[in-house]
Amino acid sequence: MLDTQLKPAQSRRQLYAIGTSVPAVTTLHTRGTVESGQLWLHIHLLQFSLDILTCGNLNQRACILVEGQGARLKVVLANNHATSLGVRIGMPLGAARILGDLTVLSRDERAEQQALERLGAWACQFTPIVSVAPPDGLLLEIKGSLKLFGGVDGLLNRVRRGLRDLGYRVSIAIAPTPTAASALARSKQQHIVFSKEELPKALGSLPLDVLRLEPKQLAILNSIGARSIDDCLRLPRGGFGRRTSPKVVDTFARLIGRSPDPRVRFELPKLFQSSLELPWETSNAQSLSVAGERLLHELSGYLRACASETRRLRWSLNYTDGHAIHFQTDLTQPSRDQAHFALLLREQLGHIQLTGQIKQMALYVDDIRPESGTHEGDLFKQEREGTSEDWPSFLDRLRARLGEQAVRGLQRVADHRPECAWRWSNVHSQNNSTPSASGGLASGAPERPLWLMRRPIRLRAQQGHLNINGRLHLSEERERIETGWWDGKPVGRDYFVAANPSGARLWIYRELSGDKNWYLHGIFE
Amino acid sequence: MSQNASNPQLPLESGEPRALEHLLHHAKIWRAGATSPTKGIPTDFPVLDSLLPNNGWPRNSLTEILTKQEGIGALRLVLPAIARLTQTQWVVWVCPPYVPYAPALQAAGVVLERMLIVEPDEDQQADTEYMLWVFEQALRFADCGVAMAWIGAAQHVRLRRLQLACEQGQTWGVVFRPEAFAIQASPAALRLSLVADADTAAEVRILKSQGGANARSCQLDL
Repeated sequence: MLDTQLKPAQSRRQLYAIGTSVPAVTTLHTRGTVESGQLWLHIHLLQFSLDILTCGNLNQRACILVEGQGARLKVVLANNHATSLGVRIGMPLGAARILGDLTVLSRDERAEQQALERLGAWACQFTPIVSVAPPDGLLLEIKGSLKLFGGVDGLLNRVRRGLRDLGYRVSIAIAPTPTAASALARSKQQHIVFSKEELPKALGSLPLDVLRLEPKQLAILNSIGARSIDDCLRLPRGGFGRRTSPKVVDTFARLIGRSPDPRVRFELPKLFQSSLELPWETSNAQSLSVAGERLLHELSGYLRACASETRRLRWSLNYTDGHAIHFQTDLTQPSRDQAHFALLLREQLGHIQLTGQIKQMALYVDDIRPESGTHEGDLFKQEREGTSEDWPSFLDRLRARLGEQAVRGLQRVADHRPECAWRWSNVHSQNNSTPSASGGLASGAPERPLWLMRRPIRLRAQQGHLNINGRLHLSEERERIETGWWDGKPVGRDYFVAANPSGARLWIYRELSGDKNWYLHGIFE
Repeated sequence: MSQNASNPQLPLESGEPRALEHLLHHAKIWRAGATSPTKGIPTDFPVLDSLLPNNGWPRNSLTEILTKQEGIGALRLVLPAIARLTQTQWVVWVCPPYVPYAPALQAAGVVLERMLIVEPDEDQQADTEYMLWVFEQALRFADCGVAMAWIGAAQHVRLRRLQLACEQGQTWGVVFRPEAFAIQASPAALRLSLVADADTAAEVRILKSQGGANARSCQLDL
């Protein structure tokens, strides 16, 4: 792990003084771009190419990323485990292999770009102004967000924790211009610079490669003896411009805030779609839940960024042979609670029979709805005394374990046919739904049994008597139910209350037509 | 101890009974016959209330109702209390043997909107573990006022867990079991046996009652 401590370039006293006196600069207003003259945070992803391929399972195996062709493959990135085996950047693949058991990966640029965009969506939770800096960086304009997140320290903690959960190792720097923030972050010095006046001093000693100039321009600068940023800034501007190109001059002007530095603003996608290639094919549900939690972490950032919630998560597990398993998590109540999502995912994974090796896991969420605002789970959860779980979470947990159909409510239906006088209902999230008027039946209505048979059970008379644990005695009164001719399910029955010798009361009927068979339909429990 | 503190000259001989008194008030000492301070849930059968400690169904613990056969009114015995609980809390039915019939429940005053019926699919239902898991979850869940389950054979350890879940979730747990299990020991706070025949009224026998008198019975018109 690299040094993750920030080294503020200035004293704490200056930190507070600077916010009040932002130097006036001429800003270029361009549609769709970000204004310059603010405070920029650059996230430099240190081993991005490798991180997205290993999905955060960093220290389990030695991984290296190689580039080149044929026998000229060279190591371009190596994780800690590989480094400890002695693998070095630039080593030929053949030499690296001798050092130990390595997982060799090659770069996937398309996946990198997609991952960067997803990270952009995730970062929108911190500020509305996010700009992607391909191939391995993100820029966030944070001036307006400092108060909300409790200053630079609070914001940095949140960003760092989030990136760590996503499985990325980063170098972060903050500066008044985006180019300077990028340069500082790439140099891994991780400075915080608040004022433009301080920039030349903070940037001075950095090597020129952090600016990512074209190789040709870099060669020219080297040839005139300029090795660091400071060297270039000290050159007379006229001569410097003649020797290099206007673009290089512009880069330096942007760097120290002498000219505006507009950035293209990242637009949040309308729906969430993300997938993870599992670095090692797996048939173990436990390792899938780890990958799933990373996807959920991205989702939760995205939902927070667009102030939304969801009720449906669609998951796909793709087998190596091209087949896929699809399942979805339905929530009783819209939510963006990552921990709750993860719990439900683990329950569901526990019930999926994997028949082969899974190579990819994907999450797709198109049910995006604005947050209701009445419940911010994180805030009120602790306030409920004694309980750790609310009603919707309880329902979700049961459903995740047992299936959607396993958890139901009951509803009364106005119909004279006994089997049609009720139906299953969906149980909703409202814990405080207004109870309907009870005692819907008139007081004179005939008694109904508490248990109804799922299907009437045919009774056969033996020697002219009906028997259920002994001979049945039928009540004097009968209740005739003859109805339903209009919808194709007509009913014509005479109902009786029957008692057997051991005291059980049963609800039985005889058909009025056909074979006039007897049926058991309910139990007066 | 506070008594001793206020009376420092108290001779040791007369202090001993007070120390015993103090000991008996310790939270971990439970005396047979002592009742928990919580009021029971009224059964709506005054005769039965008078036999039960705290004048009602024991809150926060397990009640076991044993019957020889279905149809003699085991559900009707608890129904008035359930109807009362649905006014404010949820009722969870775990794998009921038949469909709870909505018109009859509504007529008895049950708020149908607060009923939750959990029935795993048939494969899972065959597995008692699933049913016990659901039951335990429901008992642990604080918004649930009462959870009911129909259980056959179950290990004492599992029943003990259910009893603990009741205490934790402050839920009344009701277990309906065949009478054959009456001879097995059970951790339930209250065990009743319901007996009926065609001619007489149903008889409720108290097999075990924590903090109350055992071996009593009463006749109820169910």
